[in-house]
Amino acid sequence: LLLRALWAVIFGGFALLASPAAGQQPQEAEVKAAFLYKFPAFVEWPAPARPDSPFIIALYGATEIAEDLARFAQGRDVQGHPIQVRILKEGEPPAGAQMVFVGRESARLVSIARSLAGTPVLIVSEAPGALEQGSMINLVVSDGRVRFEVAPQTAERNGLRISSRLLAVAQSVRSPKL
Amino acid sequence: VRLFDFIGRSVRSKTMAVVLATAFAALLVNALALLAYEFLTYRAVKLDEARAQAEILGRAAAPAIAFNDPKDADASLATLKARADFVAAALYVADGRRFAASARDAESQELLPARMESEMRAPGADLLHVSYEIVERGQRIGWVYLVTQLGLRARIGAYVAILVAVMALALGAAAALSARLQRAVTGPILAIDAAARRVVERADFSVRAARTTDDEIGVLAEAFNRMLDEVQVRQEQLRLADRRKDEFLATLAHELRNPLAPIRNALYMMKIAPGDAEGLANARLMIERQVRQMVHLVDDLLDVSRITTGKLILKRERVELQSVARNALEGVQPIVQERGIDLSVALPKGAVSLYADPTRLTQVFLNLLNNAVKFSEPRGKVWFRCAVEEGELVAAVRDEGIGIAPAQLESIFGMFAQADQSLERRSSGLGVGLALARRIVELHGGTISARSEGLGRGAEFVVRIPLPPGAVAEPGVIAPVSRPRGETRQRILVVDDNKDFALSLASMLRAMRNEVRVEYDGAAGLSAALEFRPDVAFLDIGMPGLNGFELARRLRAAPQTSAALLVAVTGYGQPADHLRGRESGFDHYLIKPIEAERLQEILGGQHA
Repeated sequence: LLLRALWAVIFGGFALLASPAAGQQPQEAEVKAAFLYKFPAFVEWPAPARPDSPFIIALYGATEIAEDLARFAQGRDVQGHPIQVRILKEGEPPAGAQMVFVGRESARLVSIARSLAGTPVLIVSEAPGALEQGSMINLVVSDGRVRFEVAPQTAERNGLRISSRLLAVAQSVRSPKL
Repeated sequence: VRLFDFIGRSVRSKTMAVVLATAFAALLVNALALLAYEFLTYRAVKLDEARAQAEILGRAAAPAIAFNDPKDADASLATLKARADFVAAALYVADGRRFAASARDAESQELLPARMESEMRAPGADLLHVSYEIVERGQRIGWVYLVTQLGLRARIGAYVAILVAVMALALGAAAALSARLQRAVTGPILAIDAAARRVVERADFSVRAARTTDDEIGVLAEAFNRMLDEVQVRQEQLRLADRRKDEFLATLAHELRNPLAPIRNALYMMKIAPGDAEGLANARLMIERQVRQMVHLVDDLLDVSRITTGKLILKRERVELQSVARNALEGVQPIVQERGIDLSVALPKGAVSLYADPTRLTQVFLNLLNNAVKFSEPRGKVWFRCAVEEGELVAAVRDEGIGIAPAQLESIFGMFAQADQSLERRSSGLGVGLALARRIVELHGGTISARSEGLGRGAEFVVRIPLPPGAVAEPGVIAPVSRPRGETRQRILVVDDNKDFALSLASMLRAMRNEVRVEYDGAAGLSAALEFRPDVAFLDIGMPGLNGFELARRLRAAPQTSAALLVAVTGYGQPADHLRGRESGFDHYLIKPIEAERLQEILGGQHA
């Protein structure tokens, strides 16, 4: 028992020494990029036209997130489709994208959502009340942790299915009137 | 087999033991096989189960890990705690950091690695360690690490308990079933057993075992019953033989006593009226007749003993049928006349040569003829017919007398058989005549059979004896039945140490008008013979000093007596003595008592 206590002290010491590196809180942008990277695992798209077509994630604004995402997605794929990250300018249409992220900086969420109505494109945002403007998944920060809220019916209208397991970890699941 | 000594002696308990032992062995093998299978597969099954559990957990916790939701992850882990075999579980994010953990107790917590490592930890005793990589749509989300209780010992223990219970139940069921079903097997055996016990205890052989099955036991029952049948038959035969013997003894006593009364009467007559010549002659004749009858009876008795001891031996020689038939007819003549029977005889014209014992064959014919006459009404008809058919002598004696019941046609040839069992039967004799006849005929290689239309309708006895080759040699004329009697006066010497016998023989010979001289020992006999020069000498065999054989040899050697007719007279009738008598020079060999007719035959110059 004494020996075990001794070991515990030694390892405890190591743990304390290591904490500044390992325990460092990841940046919000990095977490959001990780979320964006993981959402496609819990969403079903209609079958793509070509099997080798890329999985395109288009971002408006949010340059920092886009960079982190591009780093995560480097060489990765979604069900065999290589991930492509595109940064779009305001007003540029998200041609061929399966997923669109509308950054906090963009004020054009409503028009983007309208222009994508009926097409199987997952719209993710990071603005309060974004779900009421046509977003499907909206990232929020609560108690210093990045969480998200989901509007599965909005996604369904565009032919997307969001896994119930994703809904289980969502902060809130809503059906906003559009 | 010794094992059964401990179980019990009855077939029932043995059968039960066999059934239970068989069932127990089968169940035990089955149980051991099940246990071995469980032991070998349980770990794999539990491992599969744990992997499935880990996968379910991983799938459920995937979003929690992916979107950094420890609360949700803890909730997922909490669902495992309800499981009995849960020990510890942890979730790891894709880069190997531990994200959430749960354990049964603090100690179990230490089983979980702080970081997900590529190699598994060595599982502790009775524990299973499982890791599962959570992948969603090709994307690695993280890891599940699960530790569960293997519970092998508890599992095997439970299995053993169940198997023991099942075995107890099954053995109980087997015992109950066997108790019911074995009746089909033991029932018939017990039935035979019960029958056997009854037979032994009560000596009652009329008991039979019921045959209820067609299997081996049924066959056994059948065999048992047949044995009982056989025992019963034999018992019956024994009783019958015994009764026959008793009857025979009664008959014998009766027959032996019968002649005594007339003899006593005759003696009484001789005593009270010694001067009455006619009365004396009658008395003498009566005694003669009765003595002859008694001698005949005793001869029969001797024959019976010869038959039963297998000592009846034939002295076969070439002999003519006609001579044998004549002798038999001569013998039956007195009774034929007495009863006024019409006896017709048919013999082959030519001489038929037989190879037979003339005395015995005569006895056969005489027996048959005697029976035929005896069982016929007075003045009835009797036929005696001899013929040669296909190399066989066929001799038939037929009558119209009382006949034979069909059931008795065969049994009359049995020893002591009597045709008429009634007290007033007019027949006499010991009932051995036909048995003797059959034996004699069989010794000649022939057969004898009886035929009858039934009681009151007469009977026919047919004797068949094979003839030697060339039996019918020459045609001839039937020889005359009567022969000249020895009436001529002869000189006769009688030598016997039994004075009474010697004197009685002498007086008999004198009555036949012969000149007789008597001596009582061998030496005196020899000197008397040389002086007296007898034509005939009757010599006793067993005499002190010079015995009969030696005396005969000396008489043959002496010129004065070498041509004399020498007759041995003895109480011994052994064949060896007979042969010795011939070697010593005897012409005849007579066994006491001697019949007057035989004497006349010999004195008349008849050489048998």
